[in-house]
Amino acid sequence: MKHFTKLATAAALGTVLGTAAIAQELYTPNLAYRTGPFAATGIPLMNGQADYMALLNERDGGVGGVLINAEECETGYSTEKGVECYEKTKGTAIVTQPWSTGITLQVLPKTNVDEIPILAPGYGFSPMADGKVFQWAFNMPAGYWDAADMIIQYLEGEGGSLSGKKIAFLHLDHPFGKEPLPVLEMHAAGKGFELLPIPVGLKEMQNQSAQWLQIRRERPDYVVMWGWGAMNAGAITEAVKTKFPMENFIGVWWAGHDADLKLVGDDGKGYKSISWSFPNPDAPVMKQVKEMVFDKGLSQSNEEEMQGVFYGRGLVMSAILAEGIKNAQENFGTGQIDATQLRWGLENINLTNERIVELGLEGMVPPFSTSCGNHTGHSGGWMLEWDGAKFVKASDLLKPNVDGYADLIQSSAAEYATSNAPWAMNEECSATN
Amino acid sequence: MLYRTAGQFKTSYNADQALFPVKQDAFLLGIILILAWVVFPLTASEFTFQTLLIPILIYALAAMGLNILTGFAGQLSLGTGAFMGVGAYACYKMVTLFPWMNPIVAILLSGVFSAGIGVAFGIPSLRIKGFYLAIATLAAQFFLVWLFEKWAWLYNYNASGAIQVPNLEMFGMFITGPQAASVTEYYIVLFVVSLLTLLCINLTRGNLGRTWKATRDMDIAAELIGINLMKSKLTAFAVSSYVVGVSGALYVFMWKGAAEPNVFDIPLSFQVLFIAIIGGLGSIMGNYLGAILIVGLPVVLNVIAGTQVFEMSGISAILAIALAAAVGFLFWVARNGWGIGAVIGFVVLTLIYGYAQTQGFRIDSALIEHINVMIIGALIIFFLIIEPHGLNQLWRLIREKLIIWPFPH
Repeated sequence: MKHFTKLATAAALGTVLGTAAIAQELYTPNLAYRTGPFAATGIPLMNGQADYMALLNERDGGVGGVLINAEECETGYSTEKGVECYEKTKGTAIVTQPWSTGITLQVLPKTNVDEIPILAPGYGFSPMADGKVFQWAFNMPAGYWDAADMIIQYLEGEGGSLSGKKIAFLHLDHPFGKEPLPVLEMHAAGKGFELLPIPVGLKEMQNQSAQWLQIRRERPDYVVMWGWGAMNAGAITEAVKTKFPMENFIGVWWAGHDADLKLVGDDGKGYKSISWSFPNPDAPVMKQVKEMVFDKGLSQSNEEEMQGVFYGRGLVMSAILAEGIKNAQENFGTGQIDATQLRWGLENINLTNERIVELGLEGMVPPFSTSCGNHTGHSGGWMLEWDGAKFVKASDLLKPNVDGYADLIQSSAAEYATSNAPWAMNEECSATN
Repeated sequence: MLYRTAGQFKTSYNADQALFPVKQDAFLLGIILILAWVVFPLTASEFTFQTLLIPILIYALAAMGLNILTGFAGQLSLGTGAFMGVGAYACYKMVTLFPWMNPIVAILLSGVFSAGIGVAFGIPSLRIKGFYLAIATLAAQFFLVWLFEKWAWLYNYNASGAIQVPNLEMFGMFITGPQAASVTEYYIVLFVVSLLTLLCINLTRGNLGRTWKATRDMDIAAELIGINLMKSKLTAFAVSSYVVGVSGALYVFMWKGAAEPNVFDIPLSFQVLFIAIIGGLGSIMGNYLGAILIVGLPVVLNVIAGTQVFEMSGISAILAIALAAAVGFLFWVARNGWGIGAVIGFVVLTLIYGYAQTQGFRIDSALIEHINVMIIGALIIFFLIIEPHGLNQLWRLIREKLIIWPFPH
């Protein structure tokens, strides 16, 4: 039985994959996670991404006249499924969107060999900003180091000098949670505050009583949180229970999910989350999605979810990808672009205020631009605050001070390249972050 | 008919004790080896290598290691994932500390470290048995994963806390890391897995294997006939952890390319344990069958769900029909009505699905995943009901029936 099974699957797969039909469309697969432990946070993001592409297909007939096939490949946030999806889609895909940090870690070196752009908006490796080294990886509009820098800036702007203060850094004990540490440590040394990292193990996400006991004992002035999935709801309910002043509690953009805050409602008032996206209900694109996608039954979303931060962020992510596609099409004079051409498109995004208005995204994403050396864009973001029912903007646009850690980006990227030698780089590029 | 043993006379004890007393077994193995060593590498696509061939072999090896401990020596272990991790981290440290080291040697050596740690955690087995021992190995599982997270030296102080496989060369060809071709990785995995399978078969058939089985079946009786239980149990832990450690090194170096500590957490241990149980405890071949079912089948089902059933190319249609017919025939020989029913049911469902596709029916990827999980779960229950001793026993029954076929008894 064994050899039959193997032979049949090998042959069946070979033929099936070899004869995949090539239609006039751009294949931009999304390695989605609507199942598994992180599904609750994944679904609104996936819906937002899918709905924006559906809107482009409905309203404009795709981008540059070519339909977008934004098919999802379900990973359930598991790295094994993620690699399966990557291998399955890479044949015809012009981009890969890996989503989880674990999948990104594995796919990142492969994309450099397979030459497929990897689009990880607002997640992944912070050193991906160095486009010379990570020529196929993009994490615009902002990276985790930008987020850490903006949070510190905001705290300084609110409470004055941080010297002598104590900031607890509550984070998932996982590559994702450790990402901002280098920048936070740099600021702690430079500005004279005490940084207290408090890791939350993957198994303790829902029960953080030990961590919050420590926070109560240490009495930090602020708690900065790098959390994801069940960890956010756990931390927020625990903070309410221990009566930690919510206005001194700030999360990264993945810790700003409406559903997590709705659990505590008014008690969560004052909680903040830095974000490079905002769900502006008055933006034209929101109305168009409602009319041309949702009302036609093409969306899997619902009215309540569409008001949320994560859904809006999903829309912005797809808008960035579509902008990259449009750039590439205009530059190369062809609708049917390939992966290499899309890379050029993503490297030359110039999302000015005018362009944002033109796209109907006003107030939903800050302006930014990328170059061959700058794959993050460093758009900056807004501090969002929970008012008891929804997130509102609590600050003007904050811009990260990239100069402070540009060297760090370069050295970390170089270190990655040496440990993965031989690593193909973009030697021609002269731009910097 | 297919498996007629008439005329195969054994004229010496050696011939009777041979690895394959029945000629057809050796013939069948020959076909499988030709497929594995020649046909697959020539025909498989990169997707097949990365999602079916390589992971099935690696998981089968891990399950084989666990099977030595649990199936042959009767010591229940829930720490397989962590021991795989020991192998992976040991291999990572070796290739980064000694860049001149041959990667295959490093992979084979990494098992030595996990064997040492396995023996250390196996010491409680001298005093405790069964579920109590399972808890002790569970402690190893939690402790080791915690160690992978906290001991930064293990991952060379990377900011991300994950290990990343470097590109390593042998004979001017990349064999690990993203630069390596899938077929190279496959051949290395196949070589290591074949080597260790041969070792395991002979160990379990020999003196040591009989000692393990005696320990498993009744330790007091074994002790009374003069078996040193300490030696028996600790060698089982050592050999088992060695194999598991090597599989862990292959898992990261030949397949994943990168790993964070929580990859080696308890779900991996359970997955390997399920493969061993469903394949059949106390067997070598069962590990492969179990790995095909648990690791390979979800991928195949996903591909089926994404294929237009009625637009399949001729050759894949013929292969699919042949496969269904072969499985159905084997169940028919085994006089297993449930099995025949399941095959027919599967074919009918596929045809209905294909018809629905022509009518414009599409299911989205998340729903496919849910259905996939349900089908795999149902199949696990199904196989355990029709044969509680695992797929290996199912194959043995079928083989016995084939030998005396067409007579029923």
